[in-house]
Amino acid sequence: MKEKQEILAMEICECGQKSVADAIEIFQDTSLPFKKAKKLVTECNKSCCRVALLKIYDMQQFGRFDYDEIAYVIEQRLERLKRLGGEDA
Amino acid sequence: MYNYEWDRLKTWLDQYGALDESIISPQQVTRLDLSGHSLKTLPESFGVLSKLIALNLSNNKLSSLPESLQNCTHLSNLDLRRNSFEVLPYFLGELELRSLNASGNKLGDVSVLKRCPHIRVLDMSTNLLESVDTIFAHNNDLQTLNLSSNYIKDMRAAFGELSTVVRLNLSGNLLKELPQSISMLESLEEFDCSDNQLQKIDEAFFTLDVEKVNLSSNALSTLRLYELDSLEEMVLDNNAFDFLSMDESFAPHLREFSCDGCALEEFLLPSSTALELLCYSSNAIKIVPNAIERYTNLKELDIDDNEIEALPDSLANLSYLNTLYVNGNPLSEASKKIIAIRNPEICDMNMKTGIKILRASEEDLAQMAELLSVLFAIETDFSIDYAKQYAGIKQLHAHEGADLLVAKDEEIVVGMITMQRLISSAEGGFVGQIEDLVVKEAYRKMGVGSRLINKMRSIAQEYDYKRIQLAADVDNANALQFYNRRGFHKTHLSIYHYIVS
Repeated sequence: MKEKQEILAMEICECGQKSVADAIEIFQDTSLPFKKAKKLVTECNKSCCRVALLKIYDMQQFGRFDYDEIAYVIEQRLERLKRLGGEDA
Repeated sequence: MYNYEWDRLKTWLDQYGALDESIISPQQVTRLDLSGHSLKTLPESFGVLSKLIALNLSNNKLSSLPESLQNCTHLSNLDLRRNSFEVLPYFLGELELRSLNASGNKLGDVSVLKRCPHIRVLDMSTNLLESVDTIFAHNNDLQTLNLSSNYIKDMRAAFGELSTVVRLNLSGNLLKELPQSISMLESLEEFDCSDNQLQKIDEAFFTLDVEKVNLSSNALSTLRLYELDSLEEMVLDNNAFDFLSMDESFAPHLREFSCDGCALEEFLLPSSTALELLCYSSNAIKIVPNAIERYTNLKELDIDDNEIEALPDSLANLSYLNTLYVNGNPLSEASKKIIAIRNPEICDMNMKTGIKILRASEEDLAQMAELLSVLFAIETDFSIDYAKQYAGIKQLHAHEGADLLVAKDEEIVVGMITMQRLISSAEGGFVGQIEDLVVKEAYRKMGVGSRLINKMRSIAQEYDYKRIQLAADVDNANALQFYNRRGFHKTHLSIYHYIVS
């Protein structure tokens, strides 16, 4: 089980080079819907980190962050990338 | 007669608080929640729970189940989410499961499903499935099937066994085409095939009675849209189209269409006049056709990040249009005037960035008291008196059971909300009384009020309040609509005041 600070420092989006903490801050400072708010984080139209960002966005909307869940989703994605050897990246 | 197995199992279950105190026999156990206990194994004696109907084993570390579970012949709902299964236990085929959730395991072998024809809801998402060609029983009852986030490359053979499926999620796989056999999905209403590698869609797809389709983030470069007579929502975002066209026959009942980030140069006009949402964000569109006026029901138009200079005058006639995203376009002054005439409730052109939602500090109180004047000017029950407002807000700030939030643009308080803790005899616990929600005129329609109320709702959740409530001026139509949209329900109560002193 990772510590909260460790999870906040995890990279969530390679395209925008943003950590979990960065994403939370960006989402807290905008009232845009997810589709638009996501672009503020990723600075691109790709969907690679969509699932994890959507979780964080929803958690921000409901005001409760489940850091273990965030870590789980990010790790799932990294595992998938590793398994695909960049094929799906 | 003394049941040794039950006695041992009951002791084991009690340590996880899984049994109600009133349970004295195994036949009384019909539902069990053993989620989130890091369990690696279950006791072999589980089979004594012969009347078990629903079993939640999610978020554990299980890789197998006790064989005696096959004695639980009433078991119809099994939740195995987020465990460590690599193979689904063979004896699941002996049960008459109606719902199985095995999402988030390491499943590569799910061959037992062939012997589970009664499953209606099946979630196999986030596993290691590469092929599902032969896993489904003939004449199965599947209605909801989630195979997202696996490694499936081909659905040709599998589609033939999915004629009863209503909701199908194949997102996040490695599919390159939607084959002719998709025509077998006779009952399909919702279809998500986003995040695949689709390059080709067979003509058979356009004969389906599907209502919702998501084909975003694929590799589609050429697509002709036609028929799909029952289609209401379609998302095609993030496909780099060289060619996209729509026939007049395409989706006569379409309500939502999104083509965000698709390299489009032309603003395509779906034939459906029922359209409520249209998104062509992040394309290379230069012209919005005057014919957009045909969409008299249009509520949301998203055309940000294009190359649009001129908006058609007809845009001002779309009386239901309440959300408009247009930033990132070289809009002319005339176009900005058209937007001003339409004056949509939400428009990114008017939004300011950098507004923060914070707990009110001592320094904010004077500005908050001033802001209350804006509110009391609308609410006829109150008169403006800065000294009283300041005294009240100061008292509230010091009060233990009160929460005060402000929206700040740098050092300026542009919005506020307060909540006080009350005890409700009806709810049998604390409830939150929301008051003083107000946003400065120049900062309205930017979502500031929503952010304030969302944040206060989350604070109420943290405190475990049973309910939050508020009063709104019956003549303040904007406020009433605002609260309605955010899930507040109007009660039958009226508020009465009696001045004590």
